[in-house]
Amino acid sequence: MSAVIKTTNLTKQYSNQQLAVDHLNLTVRQGEIYGFLGRNGAGKTTTIKMLLNLIKPSYGQIEIFGENLFKKQREILRRIGSIVEIPGFYENLTARENLLINTKVMGVHKKNAIDEALEIVGLQHETKKLIRSYSLGMKQRLGIARALLHYPELLILDEPTNGLDPIGIKEMRNLIKTLARERNMTILLSSHILSEIEQIADTLGIIHKGKLLKEIPFEKLRKQNRRYLEFQVSNENRAAMLLERYFAITDYEVHEAGTIRVYSHIGQQGLLNKVFVEHGIEVTKIVLSEDNLEDYFSTLIGEASIG
Amino acid sequence: MVNLLYAEVLKLKRSMIALISIAGIASGPFLCFVESIIKEAKRPDIPVEGATFFSETHLYVFLLIGVLLFSVVTAYLFNREYTEHTLKNILTIPVSRIQFILSKLILLCLWTMALTLFAWLITVLFALLGQFDGLSMQLFLDAFKQFMMSGFALFLLSTPMILVTLLFKNYVVTIVFAIAITMLNLLTYGSEYSALLPWTAVRVIATGTFFPEYPPIYSYISIIMTFCVGLIASILYFKNTDVN
Repeated sequence: MSAVIKTTNLTKQYSNQQLAVDHLNLTVRQGEIYGFLGRNGAGKTTTIKMLLNLIKPSYGQIEIFGENLFKKQREILRRIGSIVEIPGFYENLTARENLLINTKVMGVHKKNAIDEALEIVGLQHETKKLIRSYSLGMKQRLGIARALLHYPELLILDEPTNGLDPIGIKEMRNLIKTLARERNMTILLSSHILSEIEQIADTLGIIHKGKLLKEIPFEKLRKQNRRYLEFQVSNENRAAMLLERYFAITDYEVHEAGTIRVYSHIGQQGLLNKVFVEHGIEVTKIVLSEDNLEDYFSTLIGEASIG
Repeated sequence: MVNLLYAEVLKLKRSMIALISIAGIASGPFLCFVESIIKEAKRPDIPVEGATFFSETHLYVFLLIGVLLFSVVTAYLFNREYTEHTLKNILTIPVSRIQFILSKLILLCLWTMALTLFAWLITVLFALLGQFDGLSMQLFLDAFKQFMMSGFALFLLSTPMILVTLLFKNYVVTIVFAIAITMLNLLTYGSEYSALLPWTAVRVIATGTFFPEYPPIYSYISIIMTFCVGLIASILYFKNTDVN
């Protein structure tokens, strides 16, 4: 998959010498949902603002769709839809009028572009209400509608679930999934909530104190961080055979000679041990791994966990 | 640019500022009218001259109320993009930062001229209502020329207000700045320095009351220089500033 966003040593240093983003090398591939995770103040919004040319980097390069952002700014930005922090609207106007401003300025000529966008986010019946009477959740959804007006190839969403209630968060999650699937969009999604990213992202980028600590496909990460039972046994091949025969366990791996990891049947270590012993296998150690994603992140950033 | 201008006009729909600015500009002619009526009631033997009424209204509108009112309008146009968090959307559409400033500047020009026209119309109306002495079509036309010229000059002098608004992203600072200028207008008015201070030079040029110490070109230059410096500084600042 080709890279839609690629930053090289992207750095932002403010006048007070504070490094908000520190030599960030980020790659977002075509068609994926990229979860950009970090604590509040980690540098997520600053990075996103640099990607959208709202903030000028102190150093480094940004390539979007294979082109240099600073050389082809207008052409690139036309292909992006975005929400940065709180989506802002003209409070004295209706949803439709707010979107009309965007279609006019962007030169979107498709007649039903506004209706289509409002329908996607479920606001088709709220078009005559003034924005000042919209709830935060409705504004967030309208922000997505606005970002979709011109059929962008890349969607950049900065904390889109901020301030939403649990139902709103679920709706937003489903909406993002649908967009990625049905419109084949590449989505960069930032959040400080691990569980939110975990449920929809294909790739995870972890930013902390301006540095990108890790960029990893979620599938690989999950595998790395699953809870497991680890048995140290005298014969790992026989132990594996017993697992399959007596418990129909296939989700296991021989980790190293004499060690077998079982990713299911957590809490049934006694039963498994009994079968091993009854079949003449010597079990010298049983370990219940407590590792999970949150612990992994805590370890990675060296501080209390995210979210 | 036409679409941007359309968008700027649409942003004003149902906005209170349009009504406030109309009421604000109308207050000048109204106060002058009330003052003239009181004067006439006290001394019926001294009739109020139409030319005096127009001159005093011009003074009120362009030296006192106008500076403050047009500054409020300027601050509203630019500052709302920050307070309503809409600037990030507009700039990522994308709209170039220069185009953004220019479209607002054009709207501001149209708005200022519309308010000036309204001020002249209402002044004519009050003059007719008061049946002041010496009213003639020529007087109305001369006043029209003075008003429109002054309105345009005040529009040109809005660029420092734009800069102040962009710098501080706050209505209050712009209003305080406008009050300071109004005070300076009062201090300078009547002296030869009024030909040099851009905001009083507006009246000096419109009424043709130049001073021998400073030829008319000084007054024109002071206004044009203020416009250019304000505009260039605003564009440079806005172009090179991060949108946080």
